[in-house]
Amino acid sequence: MGAPLKLTGVAASEGVAVGPAFVHAPRELRPERESIPKGTVEEEIGRFRGAVEAVVRTLTQTAEEMRASGSGSEAEIFEAHAEMAEDPELHSEVEERVGDLTSPEAAVLAVGEEFAALFAEADDEYLAARADDVRDVSSQIAAELMGGRAAGLAALEEPCVVLARNLAPSDTARIPRGVALGFVVAEGSRTSHVSIMARSMGIPAVVGVGTALEGAFGANVVAVDGTEGYAVADPDEATVTAFEERRKGAAAEATALEEYKGIEARTGDGRRIEVSANIGSAGEADGAISWGAEGVGLFRTEFLFMERPELPTEEEQYAAYRGVAEAFGNRPVIVRTLDVGGDKDLPGVSQPEEENPFLGWRGIRMCLDVPELFKPQLRAILRAARHGNLKVMFPMVVEVGEVRAAKALLDECRGELEGEGTPFGEVEVGVMVETPAAAICAASLAPEVSFFSVGTNDLVQYTLAADRGNERLTRLQSADHPAVLALIERTCEAARAAGIWVGVCGEAAGEPAMIPKLIAMGVTELSMSAPSIPRAKKIISET
Amino acid sequence: MVEKEAVVGPEAGLHARPAANFVKKAKQFDSEIKVVKGGREANAKSTLKIMTLGAKKDDRILIRAEGEDAEAAVDALVELISAEE
Repeated sequence: MGAPLKLTGVAASEGVAVGPAFVHAPRELRPERESIPKGTVEEEIGRFRGAVEAVVRTLTQTAEEMRASGSGSEAEIFEAHAEMAEDPELHSEVEERVGDLTSPEAAVLAVGEEFAALFAEADDEYLAARADDVRDVSSQIAAELMGGRAAGLAALEEPCVVLARNLAPSDTARIPRGVALGFVVAEGSRTSHVSIMARSMGIPAVVGVGTALEGAFGANVVAVDGTEGYAVADPDEATVTAFEERRKGAAAEATALEEYKGIEARTGDGRRIEVSANIGSAGEADGAISWGAEGVGLFRTEFLFMERPELPTEEEQYAAYRGVAEAFGNRPVIVRTLDVGGDKDLPGVSQPEEENPFLGWRGIRMCLDVPELFKPQLRAILRAARHGNLKVMFPMVVEVGEVRAAKALLDECRGELEGEGTPFGEVEVGVMVETPAAAICAASLAPEVSFFSVGTNDLVQYTLAADRGNERLTRLQSADHPAVLALIERTCEAARAAGIWVGVCGEAAGEPAMIPKLIAMGVTELSMSAPSIPRAKKIISET
Repeated sequence: MVEKEAVVGPEAGLHARPAANFVKKAKQFDSEIKVVKGGREANAKSTLKIMTLGAKKDDRILIRAEGEDAEAAVDALVELISAEE
């Protein structure tokens, strides 16, 4: 044990941890056999295909888990890896070499390395980064072929802080749950795979500490501060104590919030506020319930429409909506109809090139123009409504005519279903208030609907004329601006006059400073990303 | 055999998301499809190969297909890759 060594890096995932150090220095994966005997080619090709299938299965499963926990971007990494594992050229190259009596593990490592080298030598940052992905995928296939994957990280049993030059997504994913206390990584930034994974797993992480990390490879104990962005190798007693106290404090907060998960939140003066989850796919329903969601305030349906060659059928949509409706039972699930525009491709719908997709042909505008897109969704929602408590809401509304037209289509769908003898249920209709126009005209919209849901993210963007993705405008990306608050207030007043309720389903709904303000204006439902629910319930109870 | 020339439209060239979309589209056809750039040829159904072509915005590429649905495949892929995004 040496003198304490402080490593400064990027605060990649918040929280603190202290624990024994585990240095992840992967030995280069070596094939067990270079060649195979004649007459075993068929069998070895069969083994290779089996190994690919196993790896793809694991990757797909990890992707689904990530998606279910609300981490779509990490899910995409694993989906991309699964696709690489299935690449036809990778297969034909490997199988050709196996035909020449190279062992499949040696062949896949060699082919993976050749692709990686091609990528790495390209004068292109994106491609160079893909080199690591290809190596990661080919070593997983080779490891599978050689039978044990439970080495290194996968074999860890005792809780520890993991030190590594870099961690591939497959590395992070195969650490047994609960074992990694923290990560200290030499390479990387806040947006690297390891940082994203650490945040989604709730593990403190410091990345980008550079070559200084090597000085810590001999350490017994490492303390990580992922909030401030540093780590201490072989910390002195005072540091360990301080970190332990902070960790206990954070854990105590999480435990204290635990008791709020299951409650029905009420304000000090007894007003009941429903706390719901925003979900982006049917698979997220169970996760949301476990965080204490009392319903779904925003069920984004885009996931059904993206990344695929054809539009989803009515049956497919029905199955997805029904699944969520059933998961929540009598508790309300608000389905937002399709909201895409020129920034995303939609199969089978020709979308014009647009300079400003967020001010373009999107949401209800597109849906009303393309009934063959809109009606199957409305029919599916009506049919799924028999299985739970579904509501429907329309995005991007700016005038009452749009609401009437959408309701007319909904009626048309009811009529058709009735005529066909297809069973369906009733749905309440609401409007998503996310344009300044909808807020200003709220009094004319309110008599048409049963509820409003304020989408603060877009309402902020449109009101303050500030692109939500522009990093230089972060100060203009908060709902806590007098103009935005005035629009929400106006929406609440109109709702009160018409006797309907108002929810909020943007980021603001989960922000501690905004919750009391929203409640004071008369909002009775708050919908947010599921992990924010317990804290929101606590804040409501203290309001 | 059907072949047509196209000019790469997307800003990112033929990799990242455009490459993934391109391969996804190619896989919808039964025909054998190749992309040719500067004398190098790549299987249009392999993201790994397509990315190693290093086709950038405004590069000229050739799309070549052989099979029952070759014509439709080439048309669809030319349209996809010529679009700016």
